[in-house]
Amino acid sequence: MGHIRLEVVRKTYGPLEVLKGIDLSIEKGEFVVFVGPSGCGKSTLLRQISGLDRPSSGRIEIDGRDVTDVGAADRGLAMVFQSYALYPHMTVRDNLAFGLQNNRMPKAEIASRIAEAARMLEIGHLMTRRPGQLSGGQRQRVAIGRAVVRDPTAFLLDEPLSNLDAELRVSMRAELAALHARLKTTMIYVTHDQVEAMTLADRIVVLRDGAIEQVATPMELFNRPANRFVAGFIGAPRMNFLDVADAAALAPGQAMPGAAASVGVRPQNLRPGDGEAAMTVDLVEALGTETVLHGRLASGSRVIVAHAGQMAARRGDVLAVAAEAGKLHFFDAADRRVEA
Amino acid sequence: MGAVLAAPAGLLAHLFDAPMRLWQRIAGRGGMIAFFLAPNMAIFGLFVIVPLGLNVAYALSGGTALFLPQRSYVGAANFERLLTCGDHMDPATCRDDLFWIAVWNTVRFVGLQVVVLVGVAMVTALILNGKIRARGFWRAVFFFPVLLSPVVVGLIWKWIFQRQGLLNWVMVELGMDPVNWLTDRTWAFLFSVGISVWAHAGFYALILLAGLQAIPRDIYEAAEMDRTSPGRAFRRITLPLLWPNLLVVIVLALIRAVQVFDEVYVLTGGGPGTSTMYLTQYIYETGFASSLRNPGVAAAASLLMGGVLVVLTIAQLGLTRWRDRQ
Amino acid sequence: MSAVAFLTRRRGGRGWHWTDVVTFGWLAAGLVLIFGPALWLLLSSFKTPAQLAEFPPSILPYASRSAMVDTGDGPRLLPLYTVELPDGTTAVMAEKNRIGIMANMVRPEAPDEVVKVNINARQPLREVAFATGNYTTPLQAFDFGRYLWNSVFVTVIATLITLLTNSMAAFALSKYEFKGRGAVMMVIVATLMIPLSVNLVPLYSVVSAVGLLNTRWGVILPTVATPTGVFMLRQYMLTIPDELLEAARMDNASEWQIYWRIVLPLAAPALAVLAIFSVVWRWNDFLWPLIVLSRKELFTLQIGLNSYAGELNVHWQFILAMTVVSIIPVLIVFFFLQRFITAGIAGTGLK
Repeated sequence: MGHIRLEVVRKTYGPLEVLKGIDLSIEKGEFVVFVGPSGCGKSTLLRQISGLDRPSSGRIEIDGRDVTDVGAADRGLAMVFQSYALYPHMTVRDNLAFGLQNNRMPKAEIASRIAEAARMLEIGHLMTRRPGQLSGGQRQRVAIGRAVVRDPTAFLLDEPLSNLDAELRVSMRAELAALHARLKTTMIYVTHDQVEAMTLADRIVVLRDGAIEQVATPMELFNRPANRFVAGFIGAPRMNFLDVADAAALAPGQAMPGAAASVGVRPQNLRPGDGEAAMTVDLVEALGTETVLHGRLASGSRVIVAHAGQMAARRGDVLAVAAEAGKLHFFDAADRRVEA
Repeated sequence: MGAVLAAPAGLLAHLFDAPMRLWQRIAGRGGMIAFFLAPNMAIFGLFVIVPLGLNVAYALSGGTALFLPQRSYVGAANFERLLTCGDHMDPATCRDDLFWIAVWNTVRFVGLQVVVLVGVAMVTALILNGKIRARGFWRAVFFFPVLLSPVVVGLIWKWIFQRQGLLNWVMVELGMDPVNWLTDRTWAFLFSVGISVWAHAGFYALILLAGLQAIPRDIYEAAEMDRTSPGRAFRRITLPLLWPNLLVVIVLALIRAVQVFDEVYVLTGGGPGTSTMYLTQYIYETGFASSLRNPGVAAAASLLMGGVLVVLTIAQLGLTRWRDRQ
Repeated sequence: MSAVAFLTRRRGGRGWHWTDVVTFGWLAAGLVLIFGPALWLLLSSFKTPAQLAEFPPSILPYASRSAMVDTGDGPRLLPLYTVELPDGTTAVMAEKNRIGIMANMVRPEAPDEVVKVNINARQPLREVAFATGNYTTPLQAFDFGRYLWNSVFVTVIATLITLLTNSMAAFALSKYEFKGRGAVMMVIVATLMIPLSVNLVPLYSVVSAVGLLNTRWGVILPTVATPTGVFMLRQYMLTIPDELLEAARMDNASEWQIYWRIVLPLAAPALAVLAIFSVVWRWNDFLWPLIVLSRKELFTLQIGLNSYAGELNVHWQFILAMTVVSIIPVLIVFFFLQRFITAGIAGTGLK
C-alpha cells in the first residue's frame, strides 16, 4: 500500500500559478524527495497530496482511490511539519495518542503502538514531558513518532530537518534512512538541501517554478541531468558551464554534438596539472579532503576545479587543467541535454 | 488545577465529538464556521444591533408608551424639544432645561475630570516607573480602586462625606467647622470629580506605565552621558516618546467621562438639586425613572450623546493605530 | 534607567533630591487616600448603630463591657463604668440604676455597697469588639443573602457564556477564511464604540419584548456578547500557528476538537484575562441591572446596596457591612490575579 498518483495537478492563487500541471507516480514503499529552490512549489505540492489544500484542477489517487476531494484526515497519511507543530499543551504521550484517539482506537492498541514507536525512536523517557521541555532533536523525534504511530499509508515530511543544527541533521538523516528501511512505507520528503535529497531518496523530483524538471534516481540525476537547471542544482561545488570553444580546449580529443550550445563539466571532473589549457588561480579553498580552486581560463571564463586530496597551489599560480574523458555534459540552445 | 479542569473538559469534548463530526460532514467547513459564529452573533444581533436600529425609531416617535406599535411618528420633534433654546448657555431659556443643565454639568465635569485624571495618572506612572522599592506593591495599591464597583466607591465616600463622617472629624480636629459637604453645590461637584478620579486614575496610570516601560533604557543612558538634565530628559525624551500613549489615554478618559453616572449617582443622586446630574442620569431618568417618562426624548438624547462618543471613538481608534505604527 | 529613575536617583547616594521627596510624598498620600477610606469602611462596618452615630467617631469598634452582678434580687447583667471617686482614686463599677444625673453604682465584687456617682464623673468601660451582627443579620433576616446569590449567579453564568460564545466567534474569525469575515469584523469594531448607556431605551424594549424583563437572564444576556472579548481573543488566537491546526487535521481531529482541544487550551492566558475582567465587570454592573430589575428578590448586591442606601431610615451599619461583603470577591481577584489584570490592561487597554 502507498501508491500515489498525481494527474495534471494545478494550483492557482488568483492570477498566480503555483503548480503548473504536475504528473507524478510514486510507487509503494518508495522514498521520494521533492527538491528545488525556494518558491518552486515543492511545499505546495506536498500540501495538495496531504489534503490540507485542494488543487485547483487535476486528480490525486492513493492506492487507486480518487482522493482529490477527500479531506486530510481521511487520506490515511501522516505529516511531519517543518516547525514540528507539536501540541504545546500536551505531553509527548498525548501528542502521540491524540490522532489515535480521534480514530477511536482501543486504549490497549494505542498504548502498544506508542510503546513501539517510543522504543524505535528512543523517546520512552520523554513521555511525560511537554514539547517546551524538549531539545530540538527530541522534538524532531516526537514529531516523527507522532507520524509513525498512525501507521500511515505514506509519510509526508516537510523540510523536517531544517530547524536542526548541522551535526544533528546528519545523524537524523541517517536515522530517517534507517526508519524507512525498516518500515518500508512510502515517504515523500520536501527539502531544499541537495545532500539530504541525494542521501535519502530512491527517486528525486526536481521542481522549478511549479513544474517538474526531472524525476530520477540520485545517481541518474547526477550523471545524466536532463537540463542545465538540474545539472547546476545537483552537485557541489556547482557544475562549470562553458562555451564549446572552452570545452574543446579542456578536452581536445572529445567529439562535440552539433546541437551543443553549452558544455557542462563538474569540478570533480577537471584535473589540474594535466593537459594543455592554462588556468590562472584566483582563490584556493583547502578543505583537507579536497582542494577547490577558483580560476580563469585563457578566454577569461571562470572555472572551479575540485581536486581530491591536498595540493600546493597559491593565488596567482598558472596551472594546466584538463577534463576527464567522457565526463562532459552537452546542452542545446534551449538548455536541454544533448547526448554525445 | 489543570488536572481538575481536564477531566470534565475531556468528557465534554467526547460527548460533543460525534454530533459535531456529523454536522461537519453534513454542513462542511462553512457549516462549522456558521456554528462557531452563531451564538455570539445571535446575542450580539439581538442585544446590540437591533437596539441600535430601534434607537432611531424611538427618537422619531412620541408619547410615553414603551412599545413601538403604540407610539406615533413625530419626526424631529424630540430633537427640537432638546435643542430649542433661547440661549444655549442658559438652560433656563431652553424648552428642556433639565437636558441643558445635564449637558453643561457634563461639560464642566469632563473638562475638570479629564485634566485632573490624566495629570494624576501621569505623575503616578512616572513615579511607579522610577527607581522605587516594591514597584509591584505600589502598582497594586494604585490599581486597587479600579476594581471596586461604582456603588462601593459611592458608598465608601458617602460615608466619609456625611455630616458626622470622617472628613468632618478631620475638620474639627483641625479646628474648623464641620461642613455639610454633599448639600453644597460646589463641594458636591468637586467631590463627584474627585471620587471618579480616585476610582479610575490607577487604570490610566497602568496604561501610561506600560508606555513608559516600552521606552528603551539606553536612550536615557545616552542622555545621561550627554549630561542632559532630568527636566530636559523628561521634556525632550519621555514626553515625545510617550505622546502617542498619552493621546490614547486622554481620548479614552474623555469617552468614559462623557458617560459618567454610577458612582456619582450613588454618592449624590444628582444633587443637591440638579448640580451633579449628568447626561447619562438625564437619559436614565427621562427614559425609566421619572414620573414624566418619555422614551422618545431619552432615545434622542442618547443618540446625541452617542454621536459625540462615536466621534471620540473614531479618534481613539485612529490614534491607537497611529500609536501602534510608531 | 527610566525617566523618573533619572529624576529620582539620589545624587551619588548623598542626601535627598527634591524628586525623592515628591516620590515619597506621592506614594504616602496614595497609600492613605486609597486604603484609608477602605479601612475606614471596614472598621465602621463592625460598629454598633449607637457608635456609628457618635461624633467625633472612634477609630476602632467598641462595645460596652458589663458584668453579672447580684444586687440582692438575683444576678443581673449591668454595664460597667470607670468611676472617679471623691477620694481621687478610680474604680470599675457597675451601674445599678440612675436617677437624673446621679447613678447608683456598686463594685461587682461587693454588690451591697452602693455609691452615688455623678454621671459626669464616670466613663463607660469599653473594649474593642466587633459587631458581627451587622453581617449576619442582613444576610439572614434581610434580603442580602438572596442579593448575594443573585450576584454570584449573574457573574458566574455571564462569565461562562461570555467565554464560550466569544471564544467560538474569535476562533471562527481568526482561523478560517470566509466571505464576509471582514464585514463581521467591521461590525464588531464599530460596536466597540457604542456603549450600553447609549442603547438603554431600545435595549429595554427588546429585553421586555423577549420576556426577559425582571429576570436574571435579562441582566446576563445583553452583556455577554462583548465586542471587546471577541476582539481580544481573536488577536490572541491569531498568534497560534496554523501548522498546529493542520497537524490536528492530519490527526483526524474534527473542527470542534480543534477548537476545544487545541485552540482553547492554547488561548488560556487570554481566556484567563477575559474571565477575570468579566467577573469584575458583571459583579460591579450597576446601571443595566438597575433598569431591568424592579423586583426586590432579583436584585443583585449592587442594586440592593443602592436601594438600601436610598431608603429614608438608613441602616448604615448593615449597608457598610454588606459593602464589605460585596468587595470580597474583588479583593480575591485583586490579591491573586492582579498580575494578570495589569498585564491585560497594559497589553490591550481594555477595562
